[in-house]
This record gives sequence, structure tokens and C-alpha cells, in this order.
Amino acid sequence: MDINWLKVLGIIITPIIAFIVGVAYGGIVRNITARVQNRFGPPVVQNFWDIIKLYSKKTTVSHGWMHHLAPVFAITASVTTLYFIPVLRDSKLFANLSFSGDLIFLLYIMVFGSLGMALGVGQSGNPNAAIGVSRGLSMMVGYEIPFVLALVAIMIQFHTTSLNDLLAVQDKFTNWIIFQSPIAFIAAILAFLGMMGYAPFDVVIAPAEIASGPPSEFGGKYLGLMQTSRSIFTFAKLVLFTDIFLGGAGDFGTLIVKTFLLYMIPVLTGIVNPRFRTEQAIRFFWKWPTVFGVIAILAVVMKG
Amino acid sequence: MISIPVLLLLIFAAGLLAFIAHHTIPVLRDAIVIIAITIAGYIVWQLPGQTSNVNFSIGMFAINWGVTEYSQLFGLLIAVLSFFALIYSSAFMANKERLGYFYMNFMFSIGAMFGIVYSQDLISLFFFWEIMTWSSFMLTIYCCEEAQSVGLKYFIFSAIGAYSILTAIVIIYSGLGSLQLANIFANFGTMSIAAKLAVVILLITGFGVKSAMMPLHVWAPDAYKMSPAPYTAIFSGALSKMGIFGIGLVLFKLAAGQGFYPYVQEILAWIGALTALFSTFYAIFQTDAKKLLAYSSIGQLGYIITGLAIGTPLSITAALFLTIMHGIFKSMLFLSVGAVYYRTGTTNMNEVSGLIRKMPYTFFTALFGIITVAGIPPLGGFAGKWMLYESLIQSNHYFLVIVIFFASTAAFLYLYRFIFSMFLGQEEKETENVKEAPLRMIVPMLILAVSTLVFGVFPGLLLKPISGAMGYLGNFQHAWETSVLFNNWGSEIDLNTIVTSIGGVFIIAWILITVKGYRKNRYVTTKDIHTSGEVPTGNENLTYAIDFYKPFERALGSVLKPSVDKLYNYTGKLLEDSFEHLRYVYTGNGQTYAMYVMGFLLILFLFSELIFGVAL
Repeated sequence: MDINWLKVLGIIITPIIAFIVGVAYGGIVRNITARVQNRFGPPVVQNFWDIIKLYSKKTTVSHGWMHHLAPVFAITASVTTLYFIPVLRDSKLFANLSFSGDLIFLLYIMVFGSLGMALGVGQSGNPNAAIGVSRGLSMMVGYEIPFVLALVAIMIQFHTTSLNDLLAVQDKFTNWIIFQSPIAFIAAILAFLGMMGYAPFDVVIAPAEIASGPPSEFGGKYLGLMQTSRSIFTFAKLVLFTDIFLGGAGDFGTLIVKTFLLYMIPVLTGIVNPRFRTEQAIRFFWKWPTVFGVIAILAVVMKG
Repeated sequence: MISIPVLLLLIFAAGLLAFIAHHTIPVLRDAIVIIAITIAGYIVWQLPGQTSNVNFSIGMFAINWGVTEYSQLFGLLIAVLSFFALIYSSAFMANKERLGYFYMNFMFSIGAMFGIVYSQDLISLFFFWEIMTWSSFMLTIYCCEEAQSVGLKYFIFSAIGAYSILTAIVIIYSGLGSLQLANIFANFGTMSIAAKLAVVILLITGFGVKSAMMPLHVWAPDAYKMSPAPYTAIFSGALSKMGIFGIGLVLFKLAAGQGFYPYVQEILAWIGALTALFSTFYAIFQTDAKKLLAYSSIGQLGYIITGLAIGTPLSITAALFLTIMHGIFKSMLFLSVGAVYYRTGTTNMNEVSGLIRKMPYTFFTALFGIITVAGIPPLGGFAGKWMLYESLIQSNHYFLVIVIFFASTAAFLYLYRFIFSMFLGQEEKETENVKEAPLRMIVPMLILAVSTLVFGVFPGLLLKPISGAMGYLGNFQHAWETSVLFNNWGSEIDLNTIVTSIGGVFIIAWILITVKGYRKNRYVTTKDIHTSGEVPTGNENLTYAIDFYKPFERALGSVLKPSVDKLYNYTGKLLEDSFEHLRYVYTGNGQTYAMYVMGFLLILFLFSELIFGVAL
């Protein structure tokens, strides 16, 4: 059996890069939020210190084995999602496993973590956590609809379900899918707002209502692993959207620029908005984003 | 050489023997049925070696039994699920009353299902279909008095289905003069278009009742809830598949190639998708675990019907794959609910909670069950869901795929509710002394649970018999490998890579989090939690179960207000009222009837010339 060392290297360093970028973005977002609220935020590297501190803590209590496994489910989903997304265009090193899966697989593996975590937080018996999970799953049904509509529109337009094929289609600037099917992009980016969980869609965490909901029983290494997972997952989602709509990126500089700009959409929306109630959030996604998604599909069908 | 008659004789005889044994030597009862089903399983396994059909005639009807690759697929499913369900029920049903009655009807159902799949003529198919209906009706009303109205509802719908099938058989016989399936499949095109359309619609209605297709589903939730858990597993896992079996035959052996086929396909596909969507919504708001699973079962059958109706090789593969997987995972889920019922005496999700530490193996089964239903890799449901979506997108059913996707995302809601309410959440005083279910119940559940993982990694194990069955249905071919699936646009998913990735990361993270700073942990109770500074006392209720998805209900608004069930009840009441008026006519008094007869004769006499053309 010959081992593809390039692949092994990619599999090792991709999550590390994702972690660093994701955590750094987290730090920058804290600063931006602070500036908007007219205060000085923490240093950009603060999030790194936080995670390192969390990992160095020891835990003496146990809420049961399902609770113990919850962060494991979360990080499994994040890292696997990342592996099946080509991080850079035409890069053998960062293609990882992207030829063994497709968009529909990604849709499913992306919810693997949420469901695993939901099971884990359920065992702690914290009613706030259960309320958070109930809200989170309900809202997922909301934003998945426009997202899938947009993806289906793109799949039928380019006759592929593979991310690598979509990248191949966007060979030059004018061929980016954001320009080829802008309506699908609108539907997807509205769904993206819900996916990232910033206000007005932060009903799951809702610190002032349900005491942070799902993560409330996690501390120390558990919280550390969950923060790690969250950073990696944020990066994975950003790269996914860049790959689908913005033509991917040939090098890390471009990737950082594109993902950062993309990230600012939910972040800046979040800073200036209050929180929806859960049913308002769900209904939001079932209204205009869904209409845009339907139009996107109809547009492709009409074009033949 | 005569394996099918032996198989049927064995199962039916075992049913009767179990009945007799229960009243004479109860010890033998369980042994008889389990030995019988084991031997039956072996017979089914080696049936494909039998090439010649079994022919004989009863009266004027030529009976013909034979094995096709399509029937073999269903035959194996029935045999395997029945085997596990019977082992399970030997523990579950112990010390219950009227066990002779229970096992006899159980075995008759199994035998009838074998009869249906191995029938090669419509008379024996109909005969076994009726036995299946009767025996399942008997077990629906087995539990208690309240089950009687439920049983009546089931029976009325079964009767509608049976008469539809019977009418279709009559039309076929009057058109073709034969009841042999082979003849009918070959010559169906020669019938008139009206007759063909009538036959297809009637047969799909008839088979649709058993597979709980909307709007013929209303019997299912209550009937599934009332029947004893081991039988519910068969009821939902295998018996509902008989409807799928029939619909498959109708679609690909009769309707295919006719002028109206595309319309039938489209309509049926949409019925399936809407069935999936609405039953999912209903499932989300159930409080009874078995009813929740029943609605889930209706929804899953909706996917299967859609897959069959689309009729591309990939979609049929998906449908048949989901058929087998649904048989497995829905049995697992019903059996695990049965285990909870066995220990706590209730299936109400608002009453039990926090069983994970008391019943870890049952929880494990339920966990694998819900992951498979949700279609999350690496378990078996994913391969089926993936093929279904790909086939829908690639056969230009864009909005159908959205409806199906909506349904299957919403399914996460009820799946989480199911496992959270029963196994997670607060540990209550009432369930303090609950123990894990007995070994004979745990082992069948765990074997089924592990099989979902095996089929998830190596779907090829199932795709091999499925492609045989598709060859029988109409020479459909779709490429596959043991653990690689392809779509029609040249994309593929490699399940080995997927499982290696998921498994690898999972194990590394698991080791990391367990070893990192390891010290002996102290288990804290579910009361010992973060509650913003307040310290909950021991008897404070912190369970969050009632109205679990209130925000979602509000978001849906009035979508769920109209209910087919209410419509039927209303129609039923209307009919009942009109029967009240009929009672003035049918008084039950002999003299009144005699007067009617006299009146009738008088009319005949007076108008005889008009009616018969001759004066009397």
C-alpha cells in the first residue's frame, strides 16, 4: 500500500490553518464589535489565550458519557466538513478528500455536529440547554430551505453536484457564480446569516434569555474543544461559500480577503440588529429568501 | 423442490401449534415459533435455487407460486425482521395473557406476507393479502378495550383497499381472461385505456392503504400505537412494505409504457412527497413515542413512494434501499420504545425522561436508529437519502427535491424530541428503579443497530440483491461498487473515505478529551446544573418536555389546522346521521319487510309491461 504523503500532510495542516484563521477572525470580530459600540476591545490574540487557558483546566465533574462525547461530535463534523471542501483552487495539497464527496454529502455532514452536540447537552438535563436545542433545530429547518433552493439552482445550472466541478466552471472573474446566478447568491447569503448565528438570528445562544443555552454545562477542556470546533467550522463554511460563489481562491492571500469580506456580512448585520423571536426568525427564512431561491430555480429552468 | 409450500405450511402450522401449545404445554410455545421462523429463514435463503414454480389448482383457479429476485428481496426482509421480533417478543410478551391468540396471529401475518411476495397469480395474492389484513387487525385490537375503535378504523380502510384490489382483479380477468401474473404483465397493453387506467388507480389505492399513503394513512398512527411493540416492528417494518411491493409491481410491470404512465408517475411522486412533509409535521407535535414513530414511518414510506414513482434507475435503487433500511431502523426504534414500555409502562414522552444511564443499550439502539432515519453519514440512511436526492435533481424534479429536503430536515426535530424526552433530560424519581431490558430484547436490537453501520459503510451488500430485483422490474441498471455510489452526472461519493475520516477524527478527539488532564470524575446529578445562581431543590421540576417545539408550531401557523382525519370523522358522522334516517326504512320488523315485498311485487305487476315487455 503506497501512502500519498502529500495527502497526509494536507490532512494534518488544513485543520491547523483553519483553527488559526478561525480564531484570529474571532478576535478581529470582537474588536470590530467593540469599536461599533464605542469601546476598545480585547487584543486580537485574546481568543488564543482563552482557548489555551480552557485546555489547561481540569474537570472533576461528569454529566455522563453522551455529554462527554458532545464536543467530540462537534469537532468531528467541523473537521470532516473541512476535509471535503477544496481549500485552494487546483492545489493538490489542500484538495484533501474533496473528490470523495459532493455538495449533498456536505449538507448532511454539516448537521452531524449540531445533532451530536444536541444529544450531549440533552444529557446534562439543563432546561435552558434543551430550550436552546429546540430553538436551534427549529431555525435550522428555516434556513436550510433557501440554502438548498440556492444549491439546487446552481446544481442544475451547471449540471454537477461536485465542488471541484463548480470551481472549474469559475475559471475567470466574470464567470464567478455570484455573477452567473446572482439570485441564488442572494438566497444563499440570507440563509448564511442564519447559519452563522449572529443577531438577529442568535436565538440559540441568546445569553440574556436562556443563559447561553446549549453550551451552558460545558467548561474547561470541553468548552475549549467546542471553541476550536466552532472556529474551524466558521472557516469551513466561509471557504465553502467562497468556493461556490466567489470562484474559490488560488492562494492564501486571496482566500483571506474573500472569506473576511464574506464574514463581515453576518457580523455587521449582527452588530446593528436586535434579536428575533424564534418563530420570527423561521418565518423570515420562509419568506423572501425562499422566494429568491424559487426564482433562482425558475430562472435556470426558463433558460433551459 | 417444493420449498414454498413447505415454507407456508411451516409458518401457518407453527401458528396453530403455538395456539394449541399455549393451552396445553406453554413452555413449548415460544420454542415452536422461534424454531419455525429459523427454519423458514433458511428456506427463504436457499429459495433462489428453486427455478421451477409450484402449480396446482383449487377449484377453477390455477395457483402459481414462484420466486423472483424482486420477491426474494422482500422475502429476506420479512424473514430477518420476524426472526428478531419473535426473539424479542419471547421476553416482551412473557406473562401477558392470551399468548396463543397473539402468536397465532403473529405467525399468520408472517406466513401471509411470505405468501404475498411469492404469489405468481392474483388469486393467491389476494387470499394472502386478506389473511394479512385479518391477522394484523386481530393484533391491533389485542391490547385492550380502547383498541376496538382503532381496529375498526384500520379495518374500514383495509376493506377499502381490499375492494379496490378485488375490483381491479375483476377488471383484469374480464379483460384478459387470466389471473397469472406472467400473462397479465405480458398482455396488459391489450386492454382498453379506460380499463388500464382503472386497474392502475385501483391497485395503487389498494396497496397504498397498507403503505399508509396520504390521504389513506389515518388508520396507521393509532393502529401502530395499539399493537404490541414486537408486532409494531413487523407492522411498520415489514407489513407496510407489502404496499411498496405491490406499488412497485403496478408501476413497472403494468403502468410502464402506457400513455398515462408519466402522469401517474408525477402524481404519485407528489403524493409521496406531500405525505412525507405533512406526516413529518404531525410527528413533531406528538406526545406519544409510538405515534411519533408511526407518523415518521408514514413519512419515510412517502420518500420510498416518491423514489419508485420517479422511475429512473437511480431513484428505484434509492427507493428499494430505503425500503430495506426503513424495515431495519423502524423495527429498531419500535423495539426500543417497546423496551422502555416494558420497564416503565408508558410510551408517553412527557412522562418518562433521563433513561440513558438506566437503559444504555436501549439508548444506543435508539441513537443509531435516529441517526439512520436522519440520513446522517456514516450510517445506512445516508446512502439511501443521497441516491434519492441525486436522482430527483437529475431527473428535473427540482421542487420535489425541495419538499423532500424540507421534510427530512424537519425530521431532525421529531427525532431529537424522541430521544431527548425518553433518554436524555432530567432523571426523575419515578424512574429511579428502572433497569435495562432483558437480554433477549437487547440482543436483537443491538444486532439490527450494528447492521445499519455495516450497510452504511458497504451499501453494496444491499445493492447486489436490489439490482437483481431491478432487473426483474424492467431491466434497470445503475452502476455501483461495494462502498462507492455514483450519480448520473459523474460525481461519486466514496463511503470508505467518508467513514475513515469521520471515524478517525472522532476517535482522535475522543482519546484527546478523555486523556487530557484525566482524573477520576464524580457524576453529578441532573439537578446539579448551572441555573443562574439558584440552587434547585431535589423535587423541583426542571424537565423541559411539554410543547417542546412551540416556536416551530407558531412559525407554521395554521398549516396543520386542516386534518384529513377530521374530514373522515365528519364524513363518518354524516353517514351515521343519514343511517339514522335509513332506520325508518329498515325497521327490523318482519311485518314491515313483508309489506315492502308486497309493494315490490305490486310494482312489478303494475309496470310489468314497461319493465319486462310482457304483461304478467
